[in-house]
Amino acid sequence: MIVASLISYAQAIVLGLLQGVSELFPISSLGHSVILPKLLGWNIHQNDPYFLSFLVATHLATAIVLLLFFWRDWVRIVRGMGRSLRDRGIAPDDHDAKLGWLLVVGTIPAGILGLLLEHPLRRIFASPESAAIFLLLNGFLLYGAELLRRRAPETDTDDDARIAKQVGFPQAFGVGAAQALALIPGFSRSGATMGGGLLVGLSNRDAARFAFLLATPIIGAAAILKLPELFGPSGDGVRGQALVGSLCSAVTAYIAVRVLLRFFETNRLTPFALYCGLAGAVCAAVIPFL
Amino acid sequence: MNTRSPLIVAVAALLGVALIVIAIVYWAEPASSLPSFFPGHQAGSPHHHFKHGIASFFVGLAALVFAWFQTGKKNAAA
Repeated sequence: MIVASLISYAQAIVLGLLQGVSELFPISSLGHSVILPKLLGWNIHQNDPYFLSFLVATHLATAIVLLLFFWRDWVRIVRGMGRSLRDRGIAPDDHDAKLGWLLVVGTIPAGILGLLLEHPLRRIFASPESAAIFLLLNGFLLYGAELLRRRAPETDTDDDARIAKQVGFPQAFGVGAAQALALIPGFSRSGATMGGGLLVGLSNRDAARFAFLLATPIIGAAAILKLPELFGPSGDGVRGQALVGSLCSAVTAYIAVRVLLRFFETNRLTPFALYCGLAGAVCAAVIPFL
Repeated sequence: MNTRSPLIVAVAALLGVALIVIAIVYWAEPASSLPSFFPGHQAGSPHHHFKHGIASFFVGLAALVFAWFQTGKKNAAA
C-alpha cells in the first residue's frame, strides 16, 4: 500500500505545529506548508489530495481554537445580530450588532472569492519557488501597511466598541476581500486583514482582534466544506496523522492567539514584515538549487 | 445604509429570492442540465456545482437581510 507512508507521524507533528502558528501569525501558513517540505526534502506536494485532506483537519482545529478562545465574544456578537434583526436596524450604541454585521460583510467577499478562485490559484501558484517570492511580497505588504496606517484617536475602552466605531461597512468589505490574497501561497490571510485594519485606523491590537474574529468563520467554513474529503478516499492513510497534526495545530494556535494579542498591545507588524522579507528572499535564492 | 426607499427594498428582496432559487438549481442539477447562461454550464458534465450554490445562497441571504434592514426605522445605523 503506497498510502501508508504518505505523511509520517513526525512530519504530521511538524506540519501541525507549524500550521497553528503560521495561520495566525501574519506569515502565511499556506506558504510555509509549501516551502518547508521542499526545504526538508519531503516528498509532499501542496496539491496532492491526501495533503489537502491533512490540511483540512489542521485548519478545522485552528478554527475551533479561535471559536473557543473568543466564545464569549461570539455569544455577545450573535445576540447583538439577533437584536438588530428583531429591531430591523442596528442601534447606534449596539456595538456587538455592528461588529457582527461587519464580520458578515467582511466574510462574504472572502467566501465568494475563495470558492471561485481557490483551485485555479493553487494550481498556478503551488510551487515552492513562487511561494517564496510571494512570501517576500507579503513582507512588503505588511511593511507598507505599517507605513500607510491611519491613526485614529482611541475613544473607547471596550475593544469591540472601538472596532465597531472605527470600521465602516465598505471598509469591512475591503478588508474581507483582501483575505482572498491568502489563496496564493506566500500571502497571509491574517496579514492582509491586520494590514487592512491598520489602513482603516485600527490600532495593532484591534486590527489583530478583528482579523482573528474575521478568520474564524472563513477558516471554519472552508474546513467543514472539505471535511468529506478527509473521510473519503483521499483521506485514506492520513487520518491518524491528520488527528495528530490537528492536536499539535490546536496547541500552537492557542499559544499564537494569546501571544499575538499581547504582542500587539505594544508592538507592530514590522518584525513579521522583516521575517517574511528575509525568509522569502533566502528561500527564493536557495530553492532552485535543491 | 440610511436610505429607506421601497424600490430598494423590493429590488433587494427580489434579488435575494432569485439568488436562493439559483442556489437550489445549482445544488439540484448537474452542470449539463444548468441553463446555458449560468456560469458553470457544461454540456455532458455530471458534476454538481455545489460551491456555486453556496456562494449564490449566501449572497441571496445577505440581500434579504439588507432588504429587511431597509424596512426598519430611519434612526438606526443600518
